Amino acid sequence: MDQWLEFTRGPLFRLCFVIMILGLLRILILDFIGAVKLYRSVADKTIPWKLVLSRTLQWLFPIKKIGRSRPVYSVISILFHIGLLIVPIFLFAHVKLWESSVGTSWITLPFAAAYVLTLSTVAFGLLLFLGRVFNKSSSFISRKQDYIWPLLLLIPFLTGFICAHLNISPAFYSFTMLIHILTGNMIFVLIPFTKIAHCVLMPFSQIINTLAWKFPPDTDKAICKTLNKEGVPV
Amino acid sequence: MNRVQNTKMILWLIVGFAAAIGLNRFIFGLGATTNLTDKTPWGLWIGFDVMGGVALAAGGFVMTAIFYIIKREEFYPFVKPAVLTAFLGYMAVVFGLIFDLGLPWNIWHMIVFWNPSSPLFEVGWCVMLYSVVLLLEFSPVALEKHKRFAAAKNFLVKYRFLFVLLGIMLSTLHQSSLGSLFLIMQYKLHPLWYSEILPINFFLSAIALGLMMVSFESLASHWLYKRKAETNLLAKLGKIAVWVLLVYLIVKMVDIFLAGEASLIFNGSFESNLFITEMLISAIIPILLLGSRGIRNTNTGQWIASSLVVIGMVFNRLNVGGVTMLSVTGDSYVPSWMEVSISLGVVSSAILVFLFVIENFNVWNLRPVDPQAQPDTLPSFDYSSHAWLGVPNVASITKYSLAFIFAFSFGMAVIPAKQLHSKGILEIEVNRASGKEILFINGNRDDNLVSFPHEEHINRVGKENCNKCHHYVLPNYKSSNCWECHSSMYQRVDFFKHDWHSSASGANLKCFDCHMRGVTKNSSSAKQCTDCHPSYNFSEASGCGFEKYFTYSYADAMHNLCVTCHTEKSKELVDAKNLSLCSTCHKIEPPESIALNLNWQTTKSRFNNVVLPVTENIEED
Repeated sequence: MDQWLEFTRGPLFRLCFVIMILGLLRILILDFIGAVKLYRSVADKTIPWKLVLSRTLQWLFPIKKIGRSRPVYSVISILFHIGLLIVPIFLFAHVKLWESSVGTSWITLPFAAAYVLTLSTVAFGLLLFLGRVFNKSSSFISRKQDYIWPLLLLIPFLTGFICAHLNISPAFYSFTMLIHILTGNMIFVLIPFTKIAHCVLMPFSQIINTLAWKFPPDTDKAICKTLNKEGVPV
Repeated sequence: MNRVQNTKMILWLIVGFAAAIGLNRFIFGLGATTNLTDKTPWGLWIGFDVMGGVALAAGGFVMTAIFYIIKREEFYPFVKPAVLTAFLGYMAVVFGLIFDLGLPWNIWHMIVFWNPSSPLFEVGWCVMLYSVVLLLEFSPVALEKHKRFAAAKNFLVKYRFLFVLLGIMLSTLHQSSLGSLFLIMQYKLHPLWYSEILPINFFLSAIALGLMMVSFESLASHWLYKRKAETNLLAKLGKIAVWVLLVYLIVKMVDIFLAGEASLIFNGSFESNLFITEMLISAIIPILLLGSRGIRNTNTGQWIASSLVVIGMVFNRLNVGGVTMLSVTGDSYVPSWMEVSISLGVVSSAILVFLFVIENFNVWNLRPVDPQAQPDTLPSFDYSSHAWLGVPNVASITKYSLAFIFAFSFGMAVIPAKQLHSKGILEIEVNRASGKEILFINGNRDDNLVSFPHEEHINRVGKENCNKCHHYVLPNYKSSNCWECHSSMYQRVDFFKHDWHSSASGANLKCFDCHMRGVTKNSSSAKQCTDCHPSYNFSEASGCGFEKYFTYSYADAMHNLCVTCHTEKSKELVDAKNLSLCSTCHKIEPPESIALNLNWQTTKSRFNNVVLPVTENIEED
């Protein structure tokens, strides 16, 4: 079992982690290449930088957007994302692993905060999953990966919580830890090739849209008019 | 076109894998990546990448000489590809050299700090200048793509003759001076390969290899793009190569017979077999093949002959560059898989650039066109995902980048964890210095002692100034010796001794006696030494690393203390000694009375006390 643990957090982790980093860089660069290619072929070369920046910030910190439609879902989703990002990066045990292998460390979460955030992430993740299953408008546009992802993301959180906070036998600990590392590695590999790639694509989505999609001015208003949806939140 | 795409895919996979290993080489160093030792400092990278690479690039100067000087104009189709191959070959040499140099960032030194008596200096300058000349020779092809560069292109074409001459001159100079490099290794190189006319041998073989490399490159690229090979022209090239190879063979044999080493060829040793093999594949068989008109005019014959010469001559460079030295040095060097993969990566990236240039510039009279780009061909789908990956350009970026990152990640995964961290510095405990009035310090562990007249220093400095050197006194001591705190020769020492403080047999402290609860346990969140030991005077020792609970290594501490003080005082003296010379201090053979009592382990055979990948047997010395 120890050898398995050694292997999964050594070579296998390196493989998966590097695939994630380079894969994300790759799709980002490919996106930009495609956008710039389209941008070169259009006549309208103006880029509204200020608008792009403000839209990007609005999407990155969607505080204003909470109240517009489905506020409960929005809040849950934001809280879920906070836990999802903060816990793995700033967990003390993870930082220690980085310190012992790469030699750099950074600030860590206090014990209690990690405890609360892990449990909250699990809870909010389950809520999101249930919402997707039972909300008809959500399940209508859902693919298979949309159902699998929230559950897959929760496995490392649950197993990590068991290993860190519960008194369990050493054998069970190793087993749970193995699942923790394996699912973590699996997530790393899948990130660049599935919808989770939005973690790097999202900050650039506005600029890429602006580069690649060129409509005549005020097209959005014209569309709303045609659909009789003027003033209605889209 | 599948043939090209599959080849490129394989090349990208190799490049990706090699990139990861290359990163490993730059982070963890040569020791963690190569099997090189002090005895065999030049391995595969020098033998193959540099010596072989330069030789393989000889096609450039040979073809330009034939075309522009001898005016054999029928060889025009070979000139541009040959110059391109030469340029990329030189770039690959420089790129490969960056991996092999211990301090690659100092590569510019040869431009500023001249050493005209060194063959390497000449090689370095020639490679640098010839790369520029090749760039200028080839750039008209690149510049003709845009009209705005027309003036520059015309200028370069107008003075092309000058560049060609310069190029031939520089190549002649350093193809041969790569051979001159080994003239100083007479006692390391096997006599069958060592010769006073090594430079001439190198030059002749470079010409033959250049010709055959041009035909090999032509055959390979025509096969790749499914074009008809220029068999007639290649046959003419082969005819020239036969004569050059014959001259090379005769010169080499006559030289060996004159030197009286002919008996070595057939004495059945490893070297003799190596020599026979090399001569067979690099010269004799190709001469026989290309000498017969029937074989010379067939595609297969050209393939075999040119491949044999290319492999044989690179083999020759490897032999001269290191293989034949192994029996003399007694070292057993086999390149590590990391060295091999980096070499392959360098070659693959050069080939990829070659293919890119072939496809995007007018190197050939007719540029190869991707069939998928033709309007009347059906779009092809990716066989794994059955998706259309876009127009050929976009599709290739999508596919090859994916191949690259998978290969790169695989490379990162297979680097052995043990090799990720070099073996570091040997832990050596410091012993007490011997002697009384005069202390003897065995600093380097090589029995060249430093004599330190302790009594004399007391008299000079005065008895009240002991603390100038004894800057810190341990509790319950009158004065502490250097070695008691600086207890490791080359490594920093944990002065605080955490384990002693926490163990039951030591201070028997619990974690939270020093560390605060609820905060990460580290040195900054713990109590300070003076909180428990108010009488300790740490201020005297400030700036010595006490704040971080470590002392300098013994070597660092001594050098800082002695050298700083002596440098200061030497300004007053007329006959100041040169302290930058190690032997100024490390020179005394131990006096007999002391030598008898010495039980120091000497580490004479270790270089700088760094553990090398292959450590020698100490008992032998």
